[in-house]
Amino acid sequence: MNEDVDVAIVGAGAAGLAAAVRAKETGAERVVVIDRNSELGGILPQCIHTGFGLHYFQENLTGPEYVTRFIEKAKELGVQVKTDTMVLNVQPDRSLLTANSREGLVRMKPRALVLAMGCRERARGAIGIPGSRPAGIFTAGTAQRLMDVEGYMPGSKIVILGSGDVGMIMARRFSLEGAKVEAVVEMLPYPGGLPRNVVQCLEDFGIPLLLRHTVTSILGRDRVSGVVIAGLDENGTPMPGTQRALDCDTLILSVGLIPENELSEGAGLQMDQATGGPVVDERMQTSADGIFACGNVVHVHDLVDHVTETGIKAGEGAALFAMGRLPPLTSRIPVVPSSGIRYVVPQVVSGDNAVTLFLRVKSPVRNARLSVGNFTVPVRVARPAETVAVKLTEGRIRALAKGKEIPVSLEVTS
Amino acid sequence: MPEKKITCIVCPMGCEATVVVQGNEILKAEGLECQRGKEYVAREIKAPMRDFFTVVQVRGAKVAVCPVRSTKPVPKGKLAECSRELADVAIAAPVKAGDVIMRDILGLGVDMVATMGVEQAAEEEGGRR
Repeated sequence: MNEDVDVAIVGAGAAGLAAAVRAKETGAERVVVIDRNSELGGILPQCIHTGFGLHYFQENLTGPEYVTRFIEKAKELGVQVKTDTMVLNVQPDRSLLTANSREGLVRMKPRALVLAMGCRERARGAIGIPGSRPAGIFTAGTAQRLMDVEGYMPGSKIVILGSGDVGMIMARRFSLEGAKVEAVVEMLPYPGGLPRNVVQCLEDFGIPLLLRHTVTSILGRDRVSGVVIAGLDENGTPMPGTQRALDCDTLILSVGLIPENELSEGAGLQMDQATGGPVVDERMQTSADGIFACGNVVHVHDLVDHVTETGIKAGEGAALFAMGRLPPLTSRIPVVPSSGIRYVVPQVVSGDNAVTLFLRVKSPVRNARLSVGNFTVPVRVARPAETVAVKLTEGRIRALAKGKEIPVSLEVTS
Repeated sequence: MPEKKITCIVCPMGCEATVVVQGNEILKAEGLECQRGKEYVAREIKAPMRDFFTVVQVRGAKVAVCPVRSTKPVPKGKLAECSRELADVAIAAPVKAGDVIMRDILGLGVDMVATMGVEQAAEEEGGRR
């Protein structure tokens, strides 16, 4: 009860570990990371593919290699870890209720708190595919865990719904382990994941990517025996006459990720409907004093390197807050997404510090002009799958933050 | 003359190149905006290389498998063969990250190394053998 903690961090994935390391480096004495899993690292240990760390380390690492660096650093700096521990709730005053089988219920009131719970996969229930409920339907992340941590093969003839990165990466893994991937079926007219994954995970293995298609029914009684797919019209409605059955024993869902924010909502934090995460300022502080958030709990990132950067900011802010050395922001100016922009993070800036805005466009564009207040930059190409980063120097953001709000919009120029 | 479509993945522009090839020679490449893209397409036609990674079985540990990667990229056309080569490999815990699991796979001059440490399970934990 009431342990003396400077910085508590909920979640030991890429964001939480970066925050823990930075909090220690900044001078916080007692830093505790809490995770419900028995291992540290979040989702990264099961991401056995390369492509991690190209920005942060300028090295091409696998998920396990990337996260091991942070786990080792955290250990070396004396970060305490509480694994197999669930955080049941967070109060606006930063107190948390945790539970595990060793200590039972424990209340903790850290001087600063970092939320780093990450995100969850959208599952079948969230997209409402009709049909029976046979075995053989997995989310992409579950299939990844089965194959690459637990050593089981989820199926042999596979259809993947959704062209998110994890789904495409699993298409490659299935192919290399001897399964046949019949198709990747995508509702939208463009792929959901990064171009490099379309090339190296689908094209390399001759896997058809069916854009503007969806699964309209799942067949099979005990085990999936096939799916019915259909072409979609402009409004996303299945077109009569385009339905056809594909034989398969497994359906993989890669249909989006949702920030996991039950704790944030319970704490009464101000939320952003567009990101599904808490509103943060340039120091990753939420609407509650001393509660910070970072990584995929704030918005779903496409690169772990960026997750790490947000963890570093949150960890530094939390440590300074805990030591009573975080100066309050002089103002809170909202950054408001306007035409063509789905969301912008951080949602609030002060103008006191240089800031990088991360934003997501609504649909793919070429040759456009991005406006942040009266500051404009040309954008050659932007896709919903890739966040756009806009660096604003201290001088520029100070000037922009003089108004009531900072609108961000995208306009096609040709 | 055979024409190939290649999406350049060097930068976020994602240029769509149309390439006319004869054997391994590029006769014409259209739709690329920069030199790096031209080099990428040349590599993709002549000798495309890919990182290779998979898992191998591990005995005497709490987990069933250990992730491994190639120390350097391997030829794209050899990925499936590399995967088969490692399909029946089983190693014994403990494993340290960086341990060489297979030297010079298929004679490609590339080693396969563990990307994560795997601890040995205590007897009473009933590790998988």
